Amino acid sequence: MILVQLLLVGSFAAVFFYALRSRTAHGVSATKKLAFMAFMLVVLIAVFSPRLVTDVANVVGVGRGTDLVLYLLAVMFCFYVVNDYLRGQESRNQVHKLARRIAVLEALERYDVTREVPAANQPVGADDDRS
Amino acid sequence: MRDVAFVVPVYNEASVIGDVIADILKVTPHAVCVNDGSRDASAAEIVKAGAYLVDHPINMGQGAALQTGIEFARSLPGVERFVTFDADGQHLVEDAKRMVDLLEGGDVDIVLGSRFLGASVGASKAKKALLRAAVAFSNVTSGVRLTDAHNGLRAFNRHVADTIEITAPDMTHASEIVELIARNRYRYREVPVTIHYTEYSRSKGQASVNALNIAVDTLLRKVGRQ
Repeated sequence: MILVQLLLVGSFAAVFFYALRSRTAHGVSATKKLAFMAFMLVVLIAVFSPRLVTDVANVVGVGRGTDLVLYLLAVMFCFYVVNDYLRGQESRNQVHKLARRIAVLEALERYDVTREVPAANQPVGADDDRS
Repeated sequence: MRDVAFVVPVYNEASVIGDVIADILKVTPHAVCVNDGSRDASAAEIVKAGAYLVDHPINMGQGAALQTGIEFARSLPGVERFVTFDADGQHLVEDAKRMVDLLEGGDVDIVLGSRFLGASVGASKAKKALLRAAVAFSNVTSGVRLTDAHNGLRAFNRHVADTIEITAPDMTHASEIVELIARNRYRYREVPVTIHYTEYSRSKGQASVNALNIAVDTLLRKVGRQ
C-alpha cells in the first residue's frame, strides 16, 4: 500500500465512523444510509485500483479516470449546493414561523386579547386553535 | 372604521413612526405595528404613540412582518377589514379609507393602491421607469393585471386575512402577494393612491438594484412550484 492510499483510506474510515456515531442520523432513511455506504465502497475501489476508474472513464468517452472523477465531483457539488440552499430556506421558514408565533402570543397576552375559539371545540388547556 | 386594523411593518423608523400612528389612530383604534428587530427606538415609539406592538424577536424581513401583523390583527375582536400601510409616511390614511370603503359592497376581496393611476409626488423619472418595468414583469408572471405591483398600501377583507400566507420574507413579498391573488382567486381591484416621496422615504426606499433580486426570486418561485 502506498502512502497516499493509506491516507485516503484513513480519512474515509474516519468520515464513515463519524457518520455512524452521529446520534442525529437516526432520522435519515435507510436508503440514504445504504447509498452512502455504496458510495464509500466505490471510493475504496477507486483508491486501490485507479486503472478501473480509467477503464470506466474510457467506456463513457472520457480520457482519464481523474477527469471522470472531477466531472462527477462537479455534478455532486452542484446537487449539494442546491440541496443545502433549499434546506436553508426550509429551516429559515421554520424559524420564522416559530418567531412569529412567539411574537403574536406575547402580544396577545400583553394586550389581553382573548382569541376567538369556537365554543364547540374548546378542550380544557388547549390553546392551539390553528392548524 | 372601527372594524379596520392597520398593519404596519416597522424596521428602524423611530423618527417617523409616531406621526404615522397618530394619523391612523384618528380613524381606527387598531394600529398594529410589527417591530421587525429594529435597532433604534422604534418599539418605544410605537408604545408611546398608542399602537399595538408586536415584537419580532429577530429581524425577519418586511414580508414576514406583514404576515405576523395580519395574524395578530385577525385575533382582535371586532376587526373585519385590514389595511397594510408603510411605516415611513409615504401613504395617506385618506387613501386607505377610500380603499376600505370599496370592500363594503362585498364584491372585492382585496383593493390595491396604485401609484400610476394616482399622483406620485417627488418620484424620479428613473424610479418611475423601473416601477413600470416591474409591473410589466409581474403581469406576465402572475396573470394578475395591475398597474403597480410594489405598492405597500392594500385593503382586504377577513377572507384574505384568514387565507393569505406570505412566505417571502424580504421585499419579494409584494410579488408573492400578487401571485397569491391569482392562486387563491381573490377578487381584486386597483385604485389610484398618492405616494408621498419625501427625502426620508427616498433614503429608506429600496435600491433599484433590488429589482433584479425580486425578478430572479419570482422566476425561481414559478419554476419551483411546477
